Amino acid sequence: MGLRERLGKEWLFCDGGTGSILQGLGLKGGELPETWNLTKPDDIKALNRGYFEAGSNIVNTNTFGANRFKFDNVSEIVSAGVKICQQARKEAGRDNDAYVAIDVGPTGKLLEPMGDLSFNEAVDIFSEIIKAGYEAGGDLVLIETMSDSYEAKAAVVAAHEVCDLPVIVTTVYDESGKLLTGGSVEGTVAMLEGLKVDAIGINCGFGPKQMLPIAERLVACCSLPIVVNPNAGLPRTENGATVYDVDPEEFSQVMEEIAKLGVHVMGGCCGTTPDHISRMIGKVKLVPFTSPVKKQTTYVTSFADCVKIGRKPVIVGERINPTGKKKLQQALRDNNIDYILTEALKQEEAGAHVLDVNVGLPEINEPEMMESVILKIQSVTNLPLQIDTTNIEALERGMRIYNGKPMINSVNGKEENIKAVMPLVAKYGGVLVALPLDESGIPATSDGRIEIARRIYEAADSYGIPRKDIVIDGLAMTISSDPESAIATLDTVRRVRDEFSGHSILGVSNISFGLPARELVNSHFLTMAMQNGLSCAIINPCNGPMMASYRSYNALMNLDPNLGEFINAYKDYVAGTSASSGSAKASSASSGVVLTLAEAIERGVTGRASEAMKEALDSGRDSLEIINSELIPALDRVGKGFEAGTVFLPQLLMSADAAKAAFAVVKEAMADKPRNTKGQVILATVKGDIHDIGKNIVKVMLENYGYDVIDLGKDVPPEVIVDCAIENNIRVVGLSALMTTTVASMEETIKLLREKKPGTKVVVGGAVMTPEYADKIGADAYAKDAMATVRYCDSVFGE
Amino acid sequence: MPLGVDIPVKEVKRYMGYHGIAGVTPEIEAKINEAVERVSTMSHPRLLIKEFPVTVTEKTVTIHAGSEDVLLESESLCRNLSGCLRVLLLAATIGPSCDMLVRRASVTSAADASIYQACGAAAIESFLDSENDRLKREYEADGLYLRPRFSPGYGDLKLEHQKDWFRLLDISKQIGIELTDSLLMMPTKSVTAIIGIGGDVRRNGCSGCSGCNMRSTCEFSEGRS
Repeated sequence: MGLRERLGKEWLFCDGGTGSILQGLGLKGGELPETWNLTKPDDIKALNRGYFEAGSNIVNTNTFGANRFKFDNVSEIVSAGVKICQQARKEAGRDNDAYVAIDVGPTGKLLEPMGDLSFNEAVDIFSEIIKAGYEAGGDLVLIETMSDSYEAKAAVVAAHEVCDLPVIVTTVYDESGKLLTGGSVEGTVAMLEGLKVDAIGINCGFGPKQMLPIAERLVACCSLPIVVNPNAGLPRTENGATVYDVDPEEFSQVMEEIAKLGVHVMGGCCGTTPDHISRMIGKVKLVPFTSPVKKQTTYVTSFADCVKIGRKPVIVGERINPTGKKKLQQALRDNNIDYILTEALKQEEAGAHVLDVNVGLPEINEPEMMESVILKIQSVTNLPLQIDTTNIEALERGMRIYNGKPMINSVNGKEENIKAVMPLVAKYGGVLVALPLDESGIPATSDGRIEIARRIYEAADSYGIPRKDIVIDGLAMTISSDPESAIATLDTVRRVRDEFSGHSILGVSNISFGLPARELVNSHFLTMAMQNGLSCAIINPCNGPMMASYRSYNALMNLDPNLGEFINAYKDYVAGTSASSGSAKASSASSGVVLTLAEAIERGVTGRASEAMKEALDSGRDSLEIINSELIPALDRVGKGFEAGTVFLPQLLMSADAAKAAFAVVKEAMADKPRNTKGQVILATVKGDIHDIGKNIVKVMLENYGYDVIDLGKDVPPEVIVDCAIENNIRVVGLSALMTTTVASMEETIKLLREKKPGTKVVVGGAVMTPEYADKIGADAYAKDAMATVRYCDSVFGE
Repeated sequence: MPLGVDIPVKEVKRYMGYHGIAGVTPEIEAKINEAVERVSTMSHPRLLIKEFPVTVTEKTVTIHAGSEDVLLESESLCRNLSGCLRVLLLAATIGPSCDMLVRRASVTSAADASIYQACGAAAIESFLDSENDRLKREYEADGLYLRPRFSPGYGDLKLEHQKDWFRLLDISKQIGIELTDSLLMMPTKSVTAIIGIGGDVRRNGCSGCSGCNMRSTCEFSEGRS
């Protein structure tokens, strides 16, 4: 019988530890165990055979670390590992009921955006391993010891793209039930279920006792068969060697306890031996087996956050959507990702739970932009995202790169659309927003919408997408053109809850299009929709009245324990003023003293600086005159103080932030006019280096002093810098490196610049830099800090 | 290990470039306090320690790790470890949260980014210092004395040896620090080090600024006013 037919229907058993056994056979520390597949195949066969004979149904090939970072003959090593394991199974007489698992461990590299390995490269690395194992005849893929859910996702995607073998994933949690990268048990399970693995579990990390509470949480949230493979206790060091203390008898006793919780596959990890496994099997086989139970909770997740869609409505922030937003459109055209990130952070501060991400503009490459924006947003916020696009390629690239289980906006009842969207959701997982409209348009009544919703649920069934992962859009449309529209929408929302036990969502503010005082209608409509069972509200969380409705509803419906959220938001509320500022907190205007623009910049009071600039512009003054007579002199006074040692870096930065805010006001006021700049400068942290705070400080200062900065980011290869310099005919390149080890790539960059674009001036800086060092690697100048860089650029561009 | 870590505000200010001076404005003071609070509650400090026998000569230190011997060539480390028969290898991190806080702050404010950066640096040092003190007391109870901790990249100990630490301690799997191709650790607020276990009290060897090859240019050097 195939493994898929048996998983979750009867007790199955994995194998145990490898490392300690191989060390016993003479494996040296520092020696890669996988090399033994070629050099000592008999020892590996004995190891595999020991577990088959102990009763394991699933035995791992000796391929845990067989990736291209360690080997240049991955296929050979993996293929040998599979053949050895097959041979061992045959010799043990277990060909009929045991399986060879292609064992896949972590790469040892951290994925972008936290680390330096791209998601697609990780998929490629795993594909190479799994393909070799599949072609050699492995029976399943066992992805184990993953401490990063993102890397686990890359391995699963690889497995599904290479073959149709069953896939089991086990991850490592700490005592608090978190992955080392911050993910929770529930979030990890939601993501892996979405990716359609065959079983989910936990391995390594610690012994069976410590694993018990985590196994309990797995049983509570996981609908798939559950695997538990602990170590033989916590590791301890004896004379430099790692030892484990839990003996086979004790191990088997605790495993029996865990078996009773209702798990389905059991085995061991570090420190366990065939003896541990056979004793465990003896006891566990006597425990009655219970099949996995389907769970009904819906989660949307990021790598570290897990948002439940249920009775308490979820706020989906709508601000990252260029429709009708000129500034965002411009930011997308300028590739100004910082503007998008600022919008993301603002919405998070204001109370959003999920962020909608729509980057569709006719003149940009939407798939590419979607991928890069998702990656960037996920590097600054834990909030799960809603991928919002009608471009199927953008959708797929976004879903692939996304770390977690996203919301998808959207599918509709058109057959063609279902055929394009649902296979992607079936492959990558996600909570799918479904619009109940079809080839004949948008039904005017709830009857028509419910009918299409029913068809969409049925289509989801046929693609294997659980119904709990469908969220029906009630389709809010303005009451100014159809007076019945709010009623139809509210009916739809209520009937989704009552007739399907389903979830619903609304783009709330569409209801008031064309009306004055829209927030009045919107906020009341939101309350009515929530009262009718709305699960998710797509709104602007920075809008005070909307959040007031939301928080009041939760308080009234006992969805805000101890009224904590409500009180926290409105403790400073003054009756009679409308709650029109989103955060509901009183603005931080201090003690009545009103600072001038110059004072605000010198003191570094950002809010006041932009206010003062607005006032100055409103009074009819010329922007350039304000900049030259107030802003720049103030900035200069701080800069000179910094150079003289009377002002310290933080104060300089506060002033720089304030000046930047004031400039932003000017920029906005002159959005249509060409900008005056002193010149264009490239800044980059060189290849291999990921420290960019210093470089970012230099950027802010240069911009404040009138330079147009092309910021290439961190870990930038020499060719990218040189190509950019040539393309934009750049006169000054600023390079930063913090480590002695990365100064070498600084030198390489300078060399390439000299060769390809002679005459370009290079100014360098960073913690390890000195004037002598700068000279030695051929730079034109050393800048000890941001002000020095400004001065140098001024000297080159001749003020 | 409990969540959170103590962060001395004084150290945060030192990392920000205040050298024992007054003149921190109330605005900055408030920002520092908020950052300290956030970094401290969101950090998840983790420590990994293993004890190994060593052989120390004038120019080399050999760590005996079960069946493997690891050779470190560094005169400054040899001075630090002279007379030691055993060492502690350690790795510590405050986790990835601080890196995210720095990235977030970088989007909106250079000042905030530098403050979060300083908080993270102070947090990992403070965490290590307190763990170091605890170890010191434990060993002193047995009549043994710990030498000042020493990290790859200090003095003439090559940064390349990070790889040895990662292998010997299985750092990635145990506490989630990964090494980039250029030998940087992620999360960035992480430290690897070696601590000698000696039979006598000694304060010489490489410690603090006097033994550091950056002492002439470092902004944070002790004794700078």
